[in-house]
Amino acid sequence: MMRFVLAMLVALFAGSFGALAQDQEPLHITITDGVIEPLPFAIAGFIPETPDAADVAAQLTQVVSSDLSGTGLFREIPKSAYIQNIAKFDTPVNYSDWQAINAQALVVGSVAMSGGKVVVKFRLFDVFSGQQMGEGQQLAASPGSWRRLAHKVSDVIYSRITGEGPYFDSRVVFVSESGPKNARQKRLAVMDYDGANVTYLTDASTIVLAPRFSRDGTRVLYTTFETGFPRIKMLDVATASARLLPDVPGTMTFAPRFSPDGKKVVYSLEQNGNTDLWMMDIASGQTQRLTTSPSIETSPSFSPDGSRIVFESDRSGTQQLYIMSTGGGDATRISFGDGRYSTPVWSPRGDMIAFTKQNSGRFHIGVMRTDGSEERLLTSSFLDEGPTWSPNGRVIMFTRETPGAQGEAALYSVDISGRNLKKVPTPGPASDPAWSPLLP
Amino acid sequence: MNRADKIGYGVSGALHAGVILWAVVGGSWFQPKPSEPTVISQVAVMSEQDFNTMMASAPKDAPQPKPDQQAPTAPATPDATTPPETPAPDAQATSEPTPKALPDPAPQPDTQPDVSALTEPPAPTDVAEAPPVMAPPVEVPSETLAPVISPRPKPKDVPRVAPEAAPAPPPEAKVSEQAEPQETPDAEAKPDQVVEKPKEAAAPPEATTEIVTEATKTDDKPESSAPLSSPRPANKPKPPAPAPAKTETAAAKPAAPTAPARTDNSAVNDALAAALGGEGTGGNGQAAVGPPITAGEKDALIVDVKQCWNVGALSSDALRTTVTLSVNMRPDGHPDIGSIKLVGSSGGTGAAVDQAFEAGKRAIVRCGADGFPLPADKYERWKTIEIDFNPDKMRMK
Repeated sequence: MMRFVLAMLVALFAGSFGALAQDQEPLHITITDGVIEPLPFAIAGFIPETPDAADVAAQLTQVVSSDLSGTGLFREIPKSAYIQNIAKFDTPVNYSDWQAINAQALVVGSVAMSGGKVVVKFRLFDVFSGQQMGEGQQLAASPGSWRRLAHKVSDVIYSRITGEGPYFDSRVVFVSESGPKNARQKRLAVMDYDGANVTYLTDASTIVLAPRFSRDGTRVLYTTFETGFPRIKMLDVATASARLLPDVPGTMTFAPRFSPDGKKVVYSLEQNGNTDLWMMDIASGQTQRLTTSPSIETSPSFSPDGSRIVFESDRSGTQQLYIMSTGGGDATRISFGDGRYSTPVWSPRGDMIAFTKQNSGRFHIGVMRTDGSEERLLTSSFLDEGPTWSPNGRVIMFTRETPGAQGEAALYSVDISGRNLKKVPTPGPASDPAWSPLLP
Repeated sequence: MNRADKIGYGVSGALHAGVILWAVVGGSWFQPKPSEPTVISQVAVMSEQDFNTMMASAPKDAPQPKPDQQAPTAPATPDATTPPETPAPDAQATSEPTPKALPDPAPQPDTQPDVSALTEPPAPTDVAEAPPVMAPPVEVPSETLAPVISPRPKPKDVPRVAPEAAPAPPPEAKVSEQAEPQETPDAEAKPDQVVEKPKEAAAPPEATTEIVTEATKTDDKPESSAPLSSPRPANKPKPPAPAPAKTETAAAKPAAPTAPARTDNSAVNDALAAALGGEGTGGNGQAAVGPPITAGEKDALIVDVKQCWNVGALSSDALRTTVTLSVNMRPDGHPDIGSIKLVGSSGGTGAAVDQAFEAGKRAIVRCGADGFPLPADKYERWKTIEIDFNPDKMRMK
């Protein structure tokens, strides 16, 4: 009994004392609003380790800086603000010096010429965490490929910080235009994603349209008028040699696109005033009709897994977007907004579809989910059309044409968030861009 | 005698003992209270004849009460036809305007009758020295609060003719006899000039006016961490009965092989441990850790953290990922950087969680460098903070 009474007394006193002694629950808050601003970063420089690497080091630093800043996601801190001078690649990073100038990421690299190659080493640091992000990397390439080397470095940095896939080391094929609008000359050209290293693939003797890269980036399909009628031609990028794909006499073929495995081509075929989608096996030349509607079906684009095709059709009375199986059959309409939808392109990530939309006298580039939901218009202009996805599915490039008799076409790019709309530098007027996959 | 019989006899004995006890002492303890005495009034019965005789001898008209005898009742509602009497201004108040009469006359114009016809309206520029024409407050019913138009002050005399002549107006523009060629922006504008127009080249204006999600976002009201309702006060502590009962039960069964008898110390320790390990039922603990963090203090912390949470460089997958970070705080309001850890995530996996975690960690480190605005006297309340970084409103859809 005494034990019971004693325990009762102890419990009564300890009951209130216990709550005081126990650990407090953590203070819990929820942050739902942040800021969207470019992440400040610093490049301590790609330090030349050999005397003959000084020029390459400077150029490489400039390209890396341009790549990162050009995304709109990063902002380079000017070198004049740097406190710590990193003179060697292995110099320890004094994080407080970089925190003081609000650098959140720091790149330290070096360049050396070794065995006839450019060798680049670099490290990436998270300044405020005070630690290195990932392991340091070393890349080597021939001196003539130093730009690709710079893009590779940028890709690594970009991916480590953002978590997105890389896309700087890629190319874009487009139609380079020249001459007056009523006598425009067009030829195929290919360039780095940032407009550098332009190479012309065809001459200006005939009109070419709508080039499309194969998944491996070695071939290009495009529409040519060299026979007087639109026909599909396949070009080998390395050799610039091209051949016409077989077709049926009396028909027009256009709007081609490779299947993900590169073995087939889906395209539009016009016959007796009716345009339908067809599929061709490149090796055998065998064709398969995918649609039989009396309306116009065109601009097909494969899903990344090759199981479905998105295309535009006016079977409902206006141009709308539809999705069907690669083997043909019933199609499901996915666009229901006001206006007309055209030139759909499936995202490399498979989650979205980019398109051109015409509504109320304006053209827009937009994106939507593959079921048609969450449609968002990214641009608005007199004439925007022909979107193409970057290899990581984060950026869209398209054609923007200015009005008037002297209006010109130019290439623009925009982040899929709608930010960072900018003109892509080209030697002259340009249209119909098609982004290559990431280069090997 | 088995156990059931024992219980039966015990219950029966207890009941009988209770009845006997009630019979012995209950009579005095439970005596009913005496009821209040009934007041008896003596009445007399009056016949109808007597009543008629009494009524006939009564006067025809009863005397009406005098008007001044009705004064104690509620004052009559003043209206347009019968304004209430306004007490005469006090002589002392007229000569010495007191601060009590001048301030805030707002309620008084509604309650006093229009005296503009009886008194001179004050000059508009000399309000402070105006005679206190305001009558003392008059008790009137609330329905008399209809607005009364106050007398308009007289404007100051101003010269109606300007001392100097106004300058002559500029001559009217003449219509040119020759028509100028109409500008055609499309034909003459250079392409570079067109594309360099800020409206054309700037992404955000074009994007923000068209993107549905951003248009929707503008309708969103800023979220506040303030609670929707005030927290209920903590319940009164419950007596820690379970622990002693458990001890008693264990002690009452010494024969049980798996529950050996416990010493006094073990029983006490059990009770103490039960109390310490409880869910706070023994008290609210506010005496030692101070009052709870207020909504305002929470909001201040949220504002401080969110301005450093930069999601601009996050991948679209990371923008679909909510992460919960835990950080230990130092008493001076600075976070212990090494203690920042991921305690939960949803909506993403792998690299996306890592990216979201790094962005959250960066926010804590950056904005915590100067210390968070937290009350030092409530350190026990915020010595550990868990932060959900939820990019729902920030992500790209």
